[in-house]
Amino acid sequence: MIFQALAFYLFALVAVGSAVMVISSRNPVHAVLFLILTFFNAAALFILMGAEFLGMILVIVYVGAVAVMFLFVVMMLDINFAELRQGFLRYLPIGAVVGLVLLAELLVVLGGWTFAPDASASVQSPAPGLEQVTNTRALGLLIYTHYLFLFQGAGIILLIAMIGAIVLTLRRREGARRQDIAAQVARRPADSVEVRKVPSGRGV
Amino acid sequence: MPTAEFPNLFPALPEIFLLVAAMALLMFGVFRKDDEAGPARVRCSRIVARLCILALLCALILVVTMNGSDRVTTFNGMFVVDRFAVYFKVLILISSALSILIAQDYLEVHRVARFEFPVLVVLASVGMMLMVSANDLMALYLGLEMQSLSLYIIASFQRDDQRSVEAGLKYFVLSALASGMLLYGSSLIYGFTGTTSFDAMAGALAAAPGEAVSLGALIGIVFILAGLAFKISAVPFHMWTPDVYEGAPTPVTAFFAVAPKLAAIALLLRVMMEPFGALTVQWQQVIVFISVASMALGAYAAIGQSNIKRLMAYSSIGHVGYALIGLAVGNEAGVRGVLIYMAIYLFMNIGAFTCILSMRRRGQMVVGINDLAGVSKSNPMLALALAIFMFSLAGIPPLAGFFGKLYIFLAAVQAGYFTLAIIGVLTSVVGAFYYIRIVKVMYFDEAEEVLDRRMDRPTALVMAATGILIAIFFIIPDPLLSQAQAAAQSLFGG
Amino acid sequence: MPVAIVLLPLLGAIVAGALAFIDPGSRAAKARIDKLAQAVTCGALLISMVLAIITFNSVAINGQTQTITILNWISSGELEINWGLKLDTLSAVMMLVVTVVSAMVHIYSIGYMHHDPSIPRFMAYLNLFTFFMLVLVTADNLVQLFLGWEGVGLSSYLLIGFWYDRPSANAAAIKAFLVNRVGDFGFMLGILGVFVLFGTVQLDPILAGAAEHADTVLNLFGGEAHALTVICILLFIGAMGKSAQIGLHTWLPDAMEGPTPVSALIHAATMVTAGIFMVARLSPLFEQSDIALSVVTIIGASTAIFAATVGCVQNDIKRVIAYSTCSQLGYMFFACGVSAYGAGIFHLMTHAFFKALLFLGAGSVIHAMSDEQDMRKMGGLWRMIPVTYALMWIGSLALAGIWPFAGYYSKDIILEAAYGAETGVGQYAFWLGVAAAFLTAFYSWRLLLMTFHGKPRADEPVLARVHESPMVMLVPLFVLATGALVAGFIGYDAFVGHESGAFWNGAITVLPGHPALERAHESPTWVKLAPLAVGLAGIATAYVMYFLKPDLPGRVAAAFPRVYRFVLNKWYFDELYNAIFVRPAFVIGRSLWKGGDGAVIDGVGPDGIATATMGIAQAVRRVQSGYIYHYAFAMLIGILVLVSWYVLRSV
Repeated sequence: MIFQALAFYLFALVAVGSAVMVISSRNPVHAVLFLILTFFNAAALFILMGAEFLGMILVIVYVGAVAVMFLFVVMMLDINFAELRQGFLRYLPIGAVVGLVLLAELLVVLGGWTFAPDASASVQSPAPGLEQVTNTRALGLLIYTHYLFLFQGAGIILLIAMIGAIVLTLRRREGARRQDIAAQVARRPADSVEVRKVPSGRGV
Repeated sequence: MPTAEFPNLFPALPEIFLLVAAMALLMFGVFRKDDEAGPARVRCSRIVARLCILALLCALILVVTMNGSDRVTTFNGMFVVDRFAVYFKVLILISSALSILIAQDYLEVHRVARFEFPVLVVLASVGMMLMVSANDLMALYLGLEMQSLSLYIIASFQRDDQRSVEAGLKYFVLSALASGMLLYGSSLIYGFTGTTSFDAMAGALAAAPGEAVSLGALIGIVFILAGLAFKISAVPFHMWTPDVYEGAPTPVTAFFAVAPKLAAIALLLRVMMEPFGALTVQWQQVIVFISVASMALGAYAAIGQSNIKRLMAYSSIGHVGYALIGLAVGNEAGVRGVLIYMAIYLFMNIGAFTCILSMRRRGQMVVGINDLAGVSKSNPMLALALAIFMFSLAGIPPLAGFFGKLYIFLAAVQAGYFTLAIIGVLTSVVGAFYYIRIVKVMYFDEAEEVLDRRMDRPTALVMAATGILIAIFFIIPDPLLSQAQAAAQSLFGG
Repeated sequence: MPVAIVLLPLLGAIVAGALAFIDPGSRAAKARIDKLAQAVTCGALLISMVLAIITFNSVAINGQTQTITILNWISSGELEINWGLKLDTLSAVMMLVVTVVSAMVHIYSIGYMHHDPSIPRFMAYLNLFTFFMLVLVTADNLVQLFLGWEGVGLSSYLLIGFWYDRPSANAAAIKAFLVNRVGDFGFMLGILGVFVLFGTVQLDPILAGAAEHADTVLNLFGGEAHALTVICILLFIGAMGKSAQIGLHTWLPDAMEGPTPVSALIHAATMVTAGIFMVARLSPLFEQSDIALSVVTIIGASTAIFAATVGCVQNDIKRVIAYSTCSQLGYMFFACGVSAYGAGIFHLMTHAFFKALLFLGAGSVIHAMSDEQDMRKMGGLWRMIPVTYALMWIGSLALAGIWPFAGYYSKDIILEAAYGAETGVGQYAFWLGVAAAFLTAFYSWRLLLMTFHGKPRADEPVLARVHESPMVMLVPLFVLATGALVAGFIGYDAFVGHESGAFWNGAITVLPGHPALERAHESPTWVKLAPLAVGLAGIATAYVMYFLKPDLPGRVAAAFPRVYRFVLNKWYFDELYNAIFVRPAFVIGRSLWKGGDGAVIDGVGPDGIATATMGIAQAVRRVQSGYIYHYAFAMLIGILVLVSWYVLRSV
């Protein structure tokens, strides 16, 4: 038990610390790397709670795909981040004041937290316990039944995002090469391969 | 192995139909041979636009015919259909169809007529309908994001125009912040009540007597309110509105000004009245504050504008302020007032935007208020129509806009909120100044160079239809009033 | 079906109105749009006319009176107002007249407005007018009647000012609107009085309950007044405005600035008769007040003679007919005033036919003369436009009341009823009416002779282009001419004869104490013959003065210069109003503007506030910087304020 608590605090601290570094590090590449570290720690927290599937998904999707894509984008875009930061510093004091006041207020709120009288009753646990089914199976049983509506809705949102990406960025440029399956299939060896006899000692 | 009961799809049939239609049209568009900005692409966009309007109308028929007066929930209580939802869905579908109708010509003129536009409007409409029918915090968020995501894209639809892209980006970033607030508030509420379902939340909050409601839950409501206030562009979450309205392509602005507002107001009404109905006394203060601030800002800030699209942005901020009076009153009469107001607002705004869309000089869109000088002579019908819309927006009898305000103020006065009603009247007097200034420019100023006489046919038809509706509403107000009454009742009758 | 009669014109107006918004682009497209607008509006009206005839048959002939409630309109406290149609003989007659004349005018307009650039707008206005007129005549409550009343006023304004690029047309439109406002104010007060007295504005309970309030008195400004007298006089003021009776008549001649079909429809046949309709509709109320009836009689008779004298000296062909209309409306009013409502409505119907005929005929002349309206520049046209000439003869014979034309029957019975009333005001009306009948015949033939006979006085190029109007303009004239010929003896028995009781079927109430109409049939022979005789005398006089001795009019005018000038200047009504109302209003307005507004209000009031408003507006604009992080920050501050409010409140 004590080991679990220790592990939790370790991961949580690292997660928060690296999250701070994400927004404060000077080099954008470093920032993305810290982001990856945050993800790893969050994944560890999931595993600690027994949600190993979510933890793995986090690593595979966020670290493996999203963060790496960020890295690519950051490396490809030539943005002078130092310049952007100047505004950040200028507004830092007042921003900090607002943030701290808000934080303080929220702490007050959370400090005096109460629950609705029958809140514990209404917190249902729709998923069966870990000892009965595996993680993946439990998730599957839920999202395809109880949360079917939300699952489908999320799918639509992804579709819209996809349409958006295509609409806003896809252009047909001169000289861009696209796959033309019909042309590929219709190709004959004679069209593309030319057999030549190359005399030795001379070029083509 | 436990098998779950398959949910009843029947109540959500209009939404499902629209989604299937949108996807089918998407496929149709993709597999049509097209060429960049060429005639084939324009033709394809025209066909898809027409089919989208058809689909929206079919959905409208489905919405109206499928549902009786009973309240029905499905998808484990996440999705609700009642008279209230039907009322707003009808308005949303009408505004979406009209927006597609008036957009086509603009898009063609600006060489961005692509088939994705109407499809995205349809998808946004689905998102709005989900918002209107949301009966769960998660469903609420889902609908909200579905419509927002579509809106970001169509705001940037003129992707070679820097201001259009900027509008989309601004809306995206700020909307993300607002969504964050909404989610934060939702989690606080979930923390307090232990549920995301509106019905269960209403029970939990009603069970907790006045004092026992924790501060946390109240703060949660405030955060949710902030997130929704962003969507209806209420002060102080309005800052994006003028820039986005100005930058976005004009038909998109017309859509922005109407449909998302309808959906967000509907959502706001439902959230405040159903799950948080027990806490009316507490959240009223926020609504009053937002309402007064919006009315005041809408009235004052519009005065200095020279761009008519920006002016309409401030106008819409002000109108949201008036509508919120009805919510602040918090009873059935107030909600009825909001419903009437929003329906009239829809037609006034679409109409006004058809006029803005018809402002062209040598084929180019112009949006300066001074460009309207002398329109009364060069294009008397346009001038007349715009004058009707402006007088109606200003709330001058006997035009429809007057009745919208009348029912709101009446509800406020009857419930004893005299201050709100007085502020409302005063700000509408200030607001009348800038609306009537437009009329003055049209009728009394001399033009250096007149606008084109040419009007796109669908736009002209929409303009005429909305203008007549606004002008003769006072003759036959009864259908709208009784529908609004029934819808408001369904929200309170449970 | 009656609903369709009323709504079809509205539908047509909407469609044509929408068409007016369309920018055609090419000339061919414009022609197509014009055609479509004409087809829709005329079609709507023709169907409406057929349905109105069928309805007339079932309601007036077969006596199927009914009230149809369509929609609930306003319900606020005690006030309960519906959209409804009251169908009885009176409204059926009016519907018939309105739809027939309107349909004819629509068709005529196709030819007359042929060259006009905004045909859809014109047709939409015409249809809109017809709609409002039908709303007016079928109203089952006073508020709906008032809506129709104002609606026709509005359409009339739009149509008079149809050629909005002519300053005179705009001025005439504004004048018509303003003068009518005076009358409408009285009308509104009258409706208010009715509501106070009866507690409802529905016609049925009001008409049924009139007798109960026969002796009610109202306390007004400390004094007591007979309630129904006050109400009826107020209502009659409204009728005076709309029907251009003496005092409030000045707008009608000016309204001739509108296109001629408009003059025929609105300012001869339909709208101006709304006042007579209203008085007849509310006959149970008027019957209860002898004073109000006397006022109606005196005003009517005075208008009849006044307008007839002015008509004798006008030179604008349309103005002659306009004054003639004014005069004939006077006849209708004094018929109502002596409780011969049936005679009044009878004359209304016959007059609608022959006056529309005369106007459209005059339009045909104007059309032929390349838009010349001055009779002094016409003359000798009868060989060139013989069909129009013949039709104008029919119209004039009917107007002068020559047997067997329609006017003979209706005018005769009015004068007999006035004589039969056997009261002082009745005698007044009778003698003035006979005198006006003489003048009517005189100016009608003066018009005919000046226009069609004598030497052609027009310019050579105009004369060269004189042509008969196309069939599309002549066919409506034939229809109306038929009406002017036969409407009299067909309708006589039903409207005023021995079948009238069954015909009206309770739509009109006449108290037993007012037997003018019954006695009219027993009046002495000389009374029966007087109108015909003076009519013939008038025609003869006109022949002498304008045909045999053309220099005579000039000499007469020279002999009585003051009388001539008095009449020529329309009894100085316009000048009088100018001196009493317009100029003082300008003076007061100017002083208020310079002194009150400029010095006091602009310094402190609105302008001070406006300056402050501008300041605020500037400040708000400065916050709107365009930077995303400013906006985000504003949102955060907003949420901070709201959260702090709750946190601090709870601490």
